Amino acid sequence: MSSFGYLVKEGFKNLFHNRLMSLASIGVLVSCLVLTGSAVMLTINVSSIVDSVGDTNVTKVFLDDNLTKLEAVYKGKEIKDIDNVSDVQFIDKDESIEAYREQLGEEVFANMTGDDNPLPYSYSVVMEDLSKYDETVAKIKEVEGVASVSSHREVAAKLTSLSSFITTMSLWIILALAVISLFIISNTIRMTMFSHRFEISIMKSVGATNAFVRVPFIIEGVIIGLVSAAISIGLLFILSDAIIKSVQKILDFPYVQFTQVMWPIIGAFVAAGVLVGIFGSMVSIRRYLTHEGNEILGW
Amino acid sequence: MIEFKNVSKVYESNGVHALDHVSLKIDKGEFVFIVGASGAGKSTFLKLIMREETPTSGQIIVNDMHLENMKRRKVPYLRRTMGIVFQDFRLISKMTVYENVAFAMRCVGKKNDSIKKRVPYILELVGLADKADDHPSELSGGEQQRVSLARALVNNPEMIIADEPTGNIDPEMSYEIIELLSEINKRGTTVLVVTHEHELVKSFGKRVIAIDDGRVVSDSDDDKFVAI
Repeated sequence: MSSFGYLVKEGFKNLFHNRLMSLASIGVLVSCLVLTGSAVMLTINVSSIVDSVGDTNVTKVFLDDNLTKLEAVYKGKEIKDIDNVSDVQFIDKDESIEAYREQLGEEVFANMTGDDNPLPYSYSVVMEDLSKYDETVAKIKEVEGVASVSSHREVAAKLTSLSSFITTMSLWIILALAVISLFIISNTIRMTMFSHRFEISIMKSVGATNAFVRVPFIIEGVIIGLVSAAISIGLLFILSDAIIKSVQKILDFPYVQFTQVMWPIIGAFVAAGVLVGIFGSMVSIRRYLTHEGNEILGW
Repeated sequence: MIEFKNVSKVYESNGVHALDHVSLKIDKGEFVFIVGASGAGKSTFLKLIMREETPTSGQIIVNDMHLENMKRRKVPYLRRTMGIVFQDFRLISKMTVYENVAFAMRCVGKKNDSIKKRVPYILELVGLADKADDHPSELSGGEQQRVSLARALVNNPEMIIADEPTGNIDPEMSYEIIELLSEINKRGTTVLVVTHEHELVKSFGKRVIAIDDGRVVSDSDDDKFVAI
């Protein structure tokens, strides 16, 4: 396999010879992969959030601001009498503000006590049968004095639709970037081949097979792919870690870390990088090597 | 061995009749000069032998292989039976003399061991053993052509094809190069030299085939001359 070692060395040399184009190829491929990875991480996390909140069967019912505490407590009975409501729990507005204060820090809510409390009285409602969720919510809303109903389920639904929107968007961007990176890689390789056309003419004159002529250029493409995959994995690790940490401060959920799902992603990145590299180089080589009639004497 | 049977070549792109019903035969072990003015069809003749071009009609047999219907993937194996020497030497400037010659062996997948044995032997043969580590730019034209010849020889071809080998070097050096080719021919390798230097050709007294306007107009080996 001594000639294979030689060919690999030639592949590396080509890469350095065309630094600028190689960097451009790597840059585009990295953006493509990081975007794909981010979309994957987003989808994984959103579905994990959706799963975890979907399980907690608690709906929050907010009452009108102007109700007194006594009126508010009476509303609880009305809500409990609705079909499918199995349990209601009254939440004092003082309790609510206390919960916010704990989550978000003292200063902001320091003065919001007693009559200055802007929050309404509310109830936590538990339902018997979640499949009747929508009609039950509609009935709760009919109760006089109920301002709004919110549940994690709605948040979950919004998140799911947001994530599918982002996924579709990024799918198109990824597709465009994939085409661009193929194009740039094949151009990089074509430039390398052009600058090596003299050597190639000599190789052909002494009887090198097309496969032999090809190998260094394919290796160049594969190196571009592998380097891009490595950079993308690093970037994605740093990015998702930073984003999850900052989101966690606002919304505390058991987020899926990059390290928990990294092996399939790494595998896919490496495969994608190598495939794009091979495919990109094959395109340009094919066009070059089928150029007949002038491969030796008229290079 | 080269055999052309009624070979014509018309370039589709410009309609030029480069070769017109050429028939000739060069046997194994012969030394042949091909002479003719530029545009006479010498280049086309060489391109057909190397299977860079295919004939429009007729048959070409080189080293027992039929070229007119040869598959593309077989072409490298045809080329391995011939060593090509160019007018402009075609040496890779960033490689040393040794590496230039070794390159030809790498291209056909030879192992490092055999490269290490074979290259010094060939360099000795062309008289460049002491220049192995020089770069082509440090050599004279004659020396560069000898490197080119060493590269053509290193894979032990049945035939050497030299395209105007003396075109870019001094007249004294030219004799040296033809002398060397003649030496190689004595060891059994067929040699084909394309040139327009009639003086040089005359002084060696070898077989001369003249091409003009796409036809073979004379062949010093009369038995094989088939005029049309």
